[in-house]
Amino acid sequence: MDTLLSQILNSLFYASILFLIACGLSLVYGVMRIVNMAHGNLYAFGAYVAAWTVGLVAGRLPDVNPVVLFVLLLAGALAAGAAGAVLEPTLLRPLYKRAEEYQLLMTFGLLLVLEDVMRLLWGPHPLTASVVSDALPSVSLLGLTYPGYNLFVIVIGGVAALALWAFVYRTRFGVMLRATSQDMRMASALGINVKRVYVQAFTIGCLMAGLGGAVVMPISGAVLGMGVDALVLAFVVVVIGGLGSLEGALVGALIVGFVRTLGIMYFAEVELAVLYLIAAIVLFVRPAGLFARA
Amino acid sequence: MLAHHSFTTTAELKGEHHMVPEVSRRQFMERFGITIGALGAGASSLLLPGTAQAQTPAPGPKPKGNIPDKPYKTGHMTFFTGPAAVLGEPSYKGHMLAAEEINAQGGLLGKRKIETLKADEAAGTDANVKELRRMKLSENIDCFTGVISSGNTPALGPVAEELKVLTLFDDGCTDFLFEKAVPNPHYVFRVTNIQSADGIMAALAASTAWPKITKIAHIHPDYSYGRNAFDHFNIAMKKLSGNIEVVSEAWPKLGTTEFTAHITKTISAKPDLLFCSVWGGDYVALYKQALKYDLYKKMKVATTLAFGVAPHALGKDHPEGIVAGVHANYHFLYPAGNKWPLNAQFVKKYYERWKEYPNFEAEGAYTSLYMLKMPVENANHLVGGWPEDDAIIAMLEGLMYESPAGYVYIRPDNHQGYKDAITGFAMQSKDYPFPIHDPKRVITVPIRSITAPPGYAKGEPTTTYKWIDETWPRVS
Repeated sequence: MDTLLSQILNSLFYASILFLIACGLSLVYGVMRIVNMAHGNLYAFGAYVAAWTVGLVAGRLPDVNPVVLFVLLLAGALAAGAAGAVLEPTLLRPLYKRAEEYQLLMTFGLLLVLEDVMRLLWGPHPLTASVVSDALPSVSLLGLTYPGYNLFVIVIGGVAALALWAFVYRTRFGVMLRATSQDMRMASALGINVKRVYVQAFTIGCLMAGLGGAVVMPISGAVLGMGVDALVLAFVVVVIGGLGSLEGALVGALIVGFVRTLGIMYFAEVELAVLYLIAAIVLFVRPAGLFARA
Repeated sequence: MLAHHSFTTTAELKGEHHMVPEVSRRQFMERFGITIGALGAGASSLLLPGTAQAQTPAPGPKPKGNIPDKPYKTGHMTFFTGPAAVLGEPSYKGHMLAAEEINAQGGLLGKRKIETLKADEAAGTDANVKELRRMKLSENIDCFTGVISSGNTPALGPVAEELKVLTLFDDGCTDFLFEKAVPNPHYVFRVTNIQSADGIMAALAASTAWPKITKIAHIHPDYSYGRNAFDHFNIAMKKLSGNIEVVSEAWPKLGTTEFTAHITKTISAKPDLLFCSVWGGDYVALYKQALKYDLYKKMKVATTLAFGVAPHALGKDHPEGIVAGVHANYHFLYPAGNKWPLNAQFVKKYYERWKEYPNFEAEGAYTSLYMLKMPVENANHLVGGWPEDDAIIAMLEGLMYESPAGYVYIRPDNHQGYKDAITGFAMQSKDYPFPIHDPKRVITVPIRSITAPPGYAKGEPTTTYKWIDETWPRVS
């Protein structure tokens, strides 16, 4: 019983992280029709910046209020968002008129460059700041010991999903975003500043990736290679959910989260294959993903 | 050779298969030469600045004959990018430290300065093979060194033989290299220990510390290293503890940093012991997450590479008392104090040069270059002038070298370097900002006690596995 509860929470925890990574990827594709390969390393960048900031402050001020450290995690999200705001107009905008391959090459190149930048800035060793997760003690429920911080991450994932939904479907900017996503030329003809919508959408996508990296950092650390790993998983999520759909990202993340846990529990030998199998089945039944628009 | 070979096999088979001898634990330890603790001066005496004087190694004998002053080109391949850079960087630093020291004396034989070409192993196996070809054919390297991944040495070894390039692998320690990929090496050597030693050392340490464990859980990265650790730990435990039962297995992908489901599964199986060969950033994530689930309060834990990656990669929150492996290879605090001055000197020099403590890759790469220097000097002494590769190889075969980690012996039949294997138990010390081995409980084992001897009939998955299965007594 406690194992079941623990694994359900683990699955939700993993789904939260996956959603934070995948929603940005999906949002950017939905609005701009760009598959942003660099997304994985913007997630890693968020983790590194958060670890570095928290480490700096916690090192200087050992008695600092833990709430401050939680707020400092936002530095990772902001840094990744700021990087997005710079990258879109400078490196991506010149390529919109070209074939998709150019955008893929550019974002893939960015993925590699960012990886090297992080190694140059922070070295090859894992960067950790578990002082944040230590601030939330493990809780006991129904005879089960569960890390408090993991519960916090589940809440963040849920809140992020709600906030994004409200943002896209209940605000004026959301309407512009969806209009641009449905027909860029028509939106432009109706007076929407498409350039601005693009840079804002890209920034929000990167911000979400950075937030994902920042919240996962206290328990996983910031390590080289985490971005590529996350990118692959995010692709599995959006392939299942449908590229460009926020609901799809949420459902995809939940499916991957639970299936991975089931795989680990009962098919340990093929843990990774199970995920790709699910993606393959979904592609077979609904080639555009579960929530794709026609 | 052949006759001896088959004689050994039949005798062993006949002797062991019908009747597995039983010995007591004490007899076993004595028979295998296992040493625990008693490191003499203790760990703190290595604190920097240490008592040992960092010395420049004495120059070799005066070279004979005419030596060209053309630089000696080495190609050093290791991970400069990606998650394995955490191992690759120390490897490069160890290599460069040795090169700088040798060059400060004028180079090899006082004349040939060592020049190092870097290659990034993260390029992938195929690209690495191409790069080795390029370095030999276009850059005309004299010697190839480095290589960390066990996936790469079996691909590079045969090519190095084909290109006739003298090769000193520092790691890439799979048993497969000299058993299958390059069964009759001429140009290829490997300096550090063999992979199978990792699982066996963890089993020896765990069964010594906790003789009653029977239920084992496993978490291993899903590639050849994890499989090798799993196999050798299990076969050794079968001999050491009798009826072991594997109650849980988890095979995360290499590069996983999210282990919550693996941890819950492990805890729910209620094992006596978790054995785990996860390493690098993966290991850091695993132990931090396991702490939060109280895993360490619920079972004993043994690892193969916890302390191997880099001493300073772990924090003050690292649990104490677990078996903390160093790839059965080298930890900068052992041999301790002034018991083996070469280590204290190396650590001091490395620390002064790079402002960090060396790991096993650093020591391996450093030792490799010196294991090239010595045979070059010996061969020069015999034949004069710059020696041919074959003369250097003849001097390398059977070489016994005093490295910072202890004696390294290059077996002539398979070109593998052998040195005593080491592991220990994690302890937090006020002297270091990271965990170290409890100096009272460091375990060392003569490598011959845990590795198949020359001429033993090859087997699956490794010869050592078969040798343990067929020849080790069972602890009663």
